[in-house]
Amino acid sequence: MLLQLIISGIAQGAIYALIALSLTVVYRATTIVNFGHGDFVMAGAFVVYVLVIMVGLPYVPAAFLAIIILFALGVAISRGFIDPIKAGPHIGFAMMSIAIGYVLRGGARTIWGREVLPMPQVFDIEPIFFGDVVFTGDALFICAIVAVLMVIFFLVFYRTTIGTVIQAVYQSERGATLIGINVRSFHEMMWGVGLGMGAMAGILIAPISLLHPDLGASFLIRGFAAMTLGGFGSLGGAVLGGLLLGVAEQVFGAYLNSALIDITAYLVIVAVLVIRPAGLFGRTIAVRM
Amino acid sequence: MNEQTSPNPPSNPKEVVASMTRMRRIFYVLPVIALAIPFVANEYLQFMANAILVYSLVTVGFNVVIGNLGQLAFANTAFFGLGAYTTAILMVYAGMPYMLAVVAAAVVGGLGGFLASVTALRGIRLYYLAIITLAFGELMRWTYLHADGITHGSDGLLMPQPSFFGIAMENETVKFYVFLLITVVLIKATSNLMRSRFGRAIVAIRDNEAATASLGIHTARYIILAFVWSGAVVGVAGAMFAALTERVFPESFSLTEVIVHFAMVLVGGTGSIIGSVLGAITLTALPEYFRQFPGMEELFFGIVIVCVLLFLPKGLVSLLRRVSPVFNERYYRD
Repeated sequence: MLLQLIISGIAQGAIYALIALSLTVVYRATTIVNFGHGDFVMAGAFVVYVLVIMVGLPYVPAAFLAIIILFALGVAISRGFIDPIKAGPHIGFAMMSIAIGYVLRGGARTIWGREVLPMPQVFDIEPIFFGDVVFTGDALFICAIVAVLMVIFFLVFYRTTIGTVIQAVYQSERGATLIGINVRSFHEMMWGVGLGMGAMAGILIAPISLLHPDLGASFLIRGFAAMTLGGFGSLGGAVLGGLLLGVAEQVFGAYLNSALIDITAYLVIVAVLVIRPAGLFGRTIAVRM
Repeated sequence: MNEQTSPNPPSNPKEVVASMTRMRRIFYVLPVIALAIPFVANEYLQFMANAILVYSLVTVGFNVVIGNLGQLAFANTAFFGLGAYTTAILMVYAGMPYMLAVVAAAVVGGLGGFLASVTALRGIRLYYLAIITLAFGELMRWTYLHADGITHGSDGLLMPQPSFFGIAMENETVKFYVFLLITVVLIKATSNLMRSRFGRAIVAIRDNEAATASLGIHTARYIILAFVWSGAVVGVAGAMFAALTERVFPESFSLTEVIVHFAMVLVGGTGSIIGSVLGAITLTALPEYFRQFPGMEELFFGIVIVCVLLFLPKGLVSLLRRVSPVFNERYYRD
């Protein structure tokens, strides 16, 4: 029973980890916390839905196209909406990301109204049994994809020049500019990567859940909870935080009260920020005054 | 002959301040003019005027945190909901008179502000504070939905008819005068507070927290106090909202509604009380209109915020400031 819960928790947590990781990328590269990210995840899922159901593409090409579309959207947002308000207060960036998120959500609701869209099953993988424990095809597929993505991601971040550039810009935009890094286009690229990864999460969510415009909000808060638990800005922390959150939701839901699944993420955020604001792996973010 | 005569001799700074203070008396005329609204408005317009008063308080309270304190917070709908539910629950289950319930709503709203921001003592700021207020807001909504023994869950809690010291608030006109009184008192109180040591301290924290702390100001304490005041004002707005809609639903206080509050603050002008009222006047009527088309509300408010951030970052009040310096915020006593 417990083992089964942990396994389904990890499958859920893998998606949270992916969302937390994509939030962390934008945060590390631009110091902006993207409060509209949930809606970009939703947008990724809806783009796949449109391409598969309305255009008739197979799932895999549709997924790649959706990632490219969201990447382009990220670049456009950075260039057209974030860059022009650079001179203003930092709070404006967060407002901007929220507002763009609401525009997407409102757009989806205007087109599809209140109906809930089912996406056909795409992974036809037989479940695997180990004694009493079941590994469903969906869970295996999602875990495999997320694991591959993470490996690529960590290699890029810690083993390539791009990773060094990311680190440089995070530490000092001015310093990075002085050594010849084009910070502006770098930000655009990282917004693109962040949204592309968010889209990936949406693409993985689409076949296993029903699609509706409010899909993003609940995933955003879980992404934040994973980030907070793992430590803001820490890549490994985001992944571990996501997995832990997924397991915690399943275990609390089963043993305590099923209504708790909805609020585990909120309770995690409150508990972590009160008890240990730096999270598991974060550097101390607290200011002592 | 080499004595220069300038057309406008530099005036005494004290005189400038005094003349500005005289000019500001114009703001006292506005509530008096508002007294005449029930004589010219029909039932629907009167309802709108009442809603504008409710949202004026929502925006004035929210602006203390967003504009003056400069912190990002999502808990505003939670304070709004706490005020509304406190009023409704006390009136339904304890038979409390409306005006006493309004005071209770202020207290509970203020307590909500304290709970949402108490982690400031742990050094939590900006994004972290925003995330924890987000969690707080959603936890409250979850509570309204799941405490259905008291709140009747998503069916909503029906309000008994409120009364103002024995006068039944039976129609929109009576409600309007009661709301106007509460709104004017609280806006004046907030305006005075923002011109006190407290108001200057939170603006200083916004501009440079380290420098403010070096002046011997306990910054975390002021951040929490700003949230408490904001929560109390928005809590009272919630109490008025309960009387206005006569039924309190959890969905009125979801995160979707917070975009409306954000839009009002930004459109009016961050950190400006006049701006807050302007934002409420401009945007209150629209959600009612858009409610019939699903999604249009979010689309509209999202676009409004994007446009304001890009083209008019200081809000509508910045246009008025070009006309007269009366509309500038001031942080000193007269």
